[in-house]
Amino acid sequence: MTHLTIEQLLATREPGLEPHVHAWREHAESCDYCRGELDRLDQRVARLKALPGLQPSRDLFGSIRTKAASERRSRQIRRIVGAGLALAASVTLVVAAFKSQRSHRRLVAADPELAEMMSQSKQLERALAGFDQDRQVVDGRTVAVTSTIEDKLARVDREIEAAELLDRTARQQAVIRLWRERVGLLDALVDVHLTGARYVGF
Amino acid sequence: MDAYRLADAEAVLPRLRAGDPAAQEALYRAFETPVYSLARRICRTTEDAEDVLQETFFEAFRSIGQFRGDGSLWGWLRTVAASKALMRLRRNKYRDADELDDDIVPLRRDDAALRMDLEAALERLSETSRAVVWLHDVEGYTHEEIAAMMERTVSFSKSQLARAHARLRRWLGEEVPA
Repeated sequence: MTHLTIEQLLATREPGLEPHVHAWREHAESCDYCRGELDRLDQRVARLKALPGLQPSRDLFGSIRTKAASERRSRQIRRIVGAGLALAASVTLVVAAFKSQRSHRRLVAADPELAEMMSQSKQLERALAGFDQDRQVVDGRTVAVTSTIEDKLARVDREIEAAELLDRTARQQAVIRLWRERVGLLDALVDVHLTGARYVGF
Repeated sequence: MDAYRLADAEAVLPRLRAGDPAAQEALYRAFETPVYSLARRICRTTEDAEDVLQETFFEAFRSIGQFRGDGSLWGWLRTVAASKALMRLRRNKYRDADELDDDIVPLRRDDAALRMDLEAALERLSETSRAVVWLHDVEGYTHEEIAAMMERTVSFSKSQLARAHARLRRWLGEEVPA
């Protein structure tokens, strides 16, 4: 007599009403050997669940708290510095606005691809704003993936700002590459929200 | 897990969102053992598991504002921990080739002295198989969820589980002649 394989025994424990799984369940009920195997499987799982909890070799809370506090401080400093820089920049910007606007328009006009990417970027940002309002549940994996992408986005934004200091040719190349990267990251972020953080190839 | 401590942890959620260090410590104390146990069952070394423990709570403190409270706090934290542990597994590029040769002489059921205990048998599985067994059988994740977390297929998760149970059965001396 043919007994169930371990794959088939495991399948009988899963929810599902497929006819072949139903047949395996019926077999397991009528076959002493397979029922015994299933019982041993259940006992093994019960023993796994009953294994004692494990403890780290030392108390790690101190280092986690230090790191969390340090990151919080850095964020606050970044905010304060950002505010200060924004104030300074606003003065500079008023002076440079006209010049910069002309330079920016020239850069965008000179490269339709850049204009297209900036437009896509705006559309994706609008889509993301919509997700934030609607989202109900955020699972842990989504949080981890989202944080990684947002960190990368912040880096790209900093590099776009820094590219303003480059000469015209270098700036044009750098800005196009960075905006392309920015659109890719925003696209990945939208995918994360749509798919619930299944694998996203960003 | 201690239900009282778990209830406490849920209660400190608003303070956690405000970044209160005392609330962060309460969360850590409530979930240190289950998070570390999960990490240790998946990771190869205690050092890796301790890193995962730290990364999990650091991430939790940073992202607690995104937790809407629709599911349980432990469910959310557990997914962060599992994600970090699996990420580390991939980063370390441990391969099934690293596992010990399991093609050993089957142990006789009555030879209790030679029979491996469950902890040792679990430790002997490959990282991938052990992760699937732990996530499925102990933590209660479905094959679909495991496949998504491991970036593999549902069939992969199912076959890893079957393979792991076949090995555990042999190593624990539970094989019974048909």
